[in-house]
Amino acid sequence: MGLRRYLTSKALWYLGALVVAVVLNFLLPRLIPGNPVDVIVSNLSQGANISSEQQAKIYAQFVEEFGLNQPLWQQFVTYVTSALQGDLGTSFSSYPTKVTALVGQALPWTLALQIPAIIIGWVIGNIVGAIAAYKGGGWDRSVFTTSLFLSSMPYYCLSILLLYVFAVVFGWFPVGGAYSLGMSPEWSWEFFWDAQSYFWLPFASLVLINVGGQAVGMRSMAIYELGSDYVNYSRGLGIGDAKMTRYIFGNAMLPQVTGLALSIGTMVGGALITELVFNYPGMGSLLFNAISSNDYPIIQAVTLLITVAVLVANFAVEIVYGLIDPRIRAAKSGE
Amino acid sequence: MSGINPGNVLTEAEGAEPAVPPPVSGGKAKPSWRSLNFGARFWIAIGIIAAISALAFFGSALYPYSPDEKVGGLYDSPSAEHILGTDNFGHDVLAVLMAATRNSLLLGLQAGILATLIGVLIGILAGYTGGWLEELLMGFTNIVLAIPAIIILILISISLQSTNIEFLKGFTGLALVIGITAWPWTARAVRAQASSVATREHIDVAKLSGARTPSILLTDVLPYLASYVVMAFVLQVASAILAESTLSLLGLGPSGTQSLGIQLHWALAFQAVASGSWWAFLPPTIVLTLISFGFLFLQSSLDEVFNPRLRRGKKKNLAKAAARRAEAAKKLAEQATTTEVPA
Amino acid sequence: MSRMLMRASNVTAVYAADDGRDVPAVDDVTIEVPEGQIVGLAGESGCGKSTLGNAMAMIANPPLYVINGTLEIEGQSIDLRTLDPNANRRHRKYRGDVVSLLPQGAMNAISPTLKIRDLVVDVLRAHDRNYAKSDAIDLATDRLKMLDMPTRVLDSYAHQLSGGMKQRMVTVISTLLNPKLLIADEPTSALDVSSQKALIEMLLAMVEKKIMSGVIFITHDLPVLSMVTDRLAIMYAGKVIENGRTEDLVHNARHPYTAALLASVLDPTEDTRTKHVLGIPGSPPNLGNPPSGCRFHPRCRFAMDVCTTKEPATLAEGDHEFACWWAKEHPRQSVPMEVSHA
Repeated sequence: MGLRRYLTSKALWYLGALVVAVVLNFLLPRLIPGNPVDVIVSNLSQGANISSEQQAKIYAQFVEEFGLNQPLWQQFVTYVTSALQGDLGTSFSSYPTKVTALVGQALPWTLALQIPAIIIGWVIGNIVGAIAAYKGGGWDRSVFTTSLFLSSMPYYCLSILLLYVFAVVFGWFPVGGAYSLGMSPEWSWEFFWDAQSYFWLPFASLVLINVGGQAVGMRSMAIYELGSDYVNYSRGLGIGDAKMTRYIFGNAMLPQVTGLALSIGTMVGGALITELVFNYPGMGSLLFNAISSNDYPIIQAVTLLITVAVLVANFAVEIVYGLIDPRIRAAKSGE
Repeated sequence: MSGINPGNVLTEAEGAEPAVPPPVSGGKAKPSWRSLNFGARFWIAIGIIAAISALAFFGSALYPYSPDEKVGGLYDSPSAEHILGTDNFGHDVLAVLMAATRNSLLLGLQAGILATLIGVLIGILAGYTGGWLEELLMGFTNIVLAIPAIIILILISISLQSTNIEFLKGFTGLALVIGITAWPWTARAVRAQASSVATREHIDVAKLSGARTPSILLTDVLPYLASYVVMAFVLQVASAILAESTLSLLGLGPSGTQSLGIQLHWALAFQAVASGSWWAFLPPTIVLTLISFGFLFLQSSLDEVFNPRLRRGKKKNLAKAAARRAEAAKKLAEQATTTEVPA
Repeated sequence: MSRMLMRASNVTAVYAADDGRDVPAVDDVTIEVPEGQIVGLAGESGCGKSTLGNAMAMIANPPLYVINGTLEIEGQSIDLRTLDPNANRRHRKYRGDVVSLLPQGAMNAISPTLKIRDLVVDVLRAHDRNYAKSDAIDLATDRLKMLDMPTRVLDSYAHQLSGGMKQRMVTVISTLLNPKLLIADEPTSALDVSSQKALIEMLLAMVEKKIMSGVIFITHDLPVLSMVTDRLAIMYAGKVIENGRTEDLVHNARHPYTAALLASVLDPTEDTRTKHVLGIPGSPPNLGNPPSGCRFHPRCRFAMDVCTTKEPATLAEGDHEFACWWAKEHPRQSVPMEVSHA
């Protein structure tokens, strides 16, 4: 398989997945009996003294605005075209704020938390797992058991424990949130300094779990490689341990890269709940608040963005894999 | 120039019974359960799962308080009366915990069975039949795999919440949803195994003797996948329990009932962590962690039982064996110096 | 008989079983290779021939332990035991240089992420840290030219080569340092007939050109062995039960096991084709609990009372050695072929 063919086929797969995801994302909330406008209108009318006539008027206005009187296929076309133009609709609960504005506030927090946590967790996890496989004995057993424990721990459970122990009991870190009351997000040292103290706990809980998962995977890959023919042969040629370890890790790394692609979805999902525990103002909290207020446009926007991000991240990892695996890269020169 | 193994060919053809047990490094036979060597890890995992099941099923039957009964105020501290205090509704935390654990385990079991069944069915069909059916099924599987499962779960759960169909609203509906979104992993793993089994000789024998595909799948393919199916099932149960708790934590769980995720949801919503009411959030956190760890530990110990390559000897046995070996080596060395080797 | 190149004496190697027991896979075996000769090592699978090869190539790795044995080769005496933690370091300098391995299943013998040229450099540098990269490539290029192989394979990854080419390339790498002894472990078993022929011709050419001074050729493919080897050693249940010049063994087997093994594959005459050649009934014994006396007696057509109780000593007729009670009672007599009419 040449690199070009590999990338084309991967691109097609992800395109297919994207189409399915967008359709699901569009369709599922619309399968709800009645329609979402019922919810928003009843929300609006709660507390306020609105006559049923006024209510009907508001209702009609929203149906018009959200295009709910159109046939389904037309709604889908509208949905896709406006999404492509960066319009993700209007929030129900904080009407008339645009969804993109709310997402714009939440996204930076999530990115700042997740990208470093995934990358650092992956790197440390692989190093730890590789060392455990190579050293064996007591080191291996304790590292393996700890890693397995960490990786099996639901993200939010570790988050809750860390939050309770280090923020509530010891008081070393602030209890939830992303910055102090009275501050507002801005590009200043003062704000940055304040925000970093809120950053470490959620970051640590994500990194720890990612390290555990990657270490478990790397360990079994490396043990598998240790028993392979080329290790035996290299030994027979008198090649030293250090060199051999490099061969082993080079090969065990490849499935780990694929593993990263496959686990990004889980990592992102877990990280959303972590935000919730820490009350971190990212996409997870936005989603949570939207769910509790039945704010469908926001729910849809968040799920769509996460899906697209995960698919893009997966595709990026697959490209990297194609570039580093000689079985794909070099095949084009062909024998 | 043939590569036949002269020793065995004729005996096998004649169907003679081997007079002596086969050599240590025998071929890959059908795994027999009796010959499996379960390690300490396996029993620890079983112990954890058994303890939690006991808490869930016997505990909730024996405990005097009902999980729906208001017995105190908001976050009353643990007391002799209420060992784990009360939650935000004034319910007894231990009673809620036991009911929640029971519901979560049952849901995990239902969803796990469903996901494993779908996964095995699709995987085995794709792996055994191959061709366009395999392409189609695996293409579909890979697409579903690429979309984060949690997103699909969230979207479906939202729709379910406002459905009119009553039984879909409760745990059954949730188990169904989790089951039908969680199978792709299993399908992929089973397909890889099934397609390697499909090339073995005994399948050809079964085909030649006129067996039909369903019967071949059931009697000649499935037994060889048994270990994978068991491991996949264990993982599916654990991940279904976690999926439920994630959804419930987000506020998408069934209402008016208990589950570990719902319990955590309320604890977080009513600031249990910030107010230091550890009894309200630590018990479900710990039980969830133990469930997850217990099942994963079980899976990894089974993996070592089925794939001896991953197994590494116990330290104590290794040391003993090494000492014995050194003793034998010493004796041999002494022999060599006293008696001349026959030429 | 020509000068002795190497002698491995009293090699005993055990597999550590899961239950803590040790299973002896090679039991007090002594084997010699004369200068410039190819010695075949044959037997059913599980007889210990590959284990013996690993012990001599000094690559025994847990769960395999060599607990006794010395390798004498051109004046050097190497302790083959792998019990102490330093054994690996001690053996490393001999590997590839004094004794080299041509592995079983060379299909996966080269790391899939490594170019052949990188492996070549790594091998040479493993024995001389200051070996220049360009010198290493030059050496390999010369060697390939000498053996009429395309030099462009150096720039390939293993997966880009055909099975036969890969096996020949591995052979070249194994012999880069002109090892005194090459241990070829089933090198032809995964190849098609023409690749087998090419590899064997290459090995013969290498011995001819004195790239290595001797070869131990392990296989259960007896037709190949009878073609290429000067001498044969037959192993059964961890012991060498007969060894001698190839033509002596083929035409004048002294051990009933050798006779049965050879008879089942080697005699393509009209006569045997119409008759039913008996294979060897039963299967090789469990090495964890080998039969008393001669280990072959439960399967032997000539078994006598003494065979079940006492282990036969190794006897010699010239340079033809065997360990069998029947042979002792029937000096200079080949094992009669038993032929039953089908």
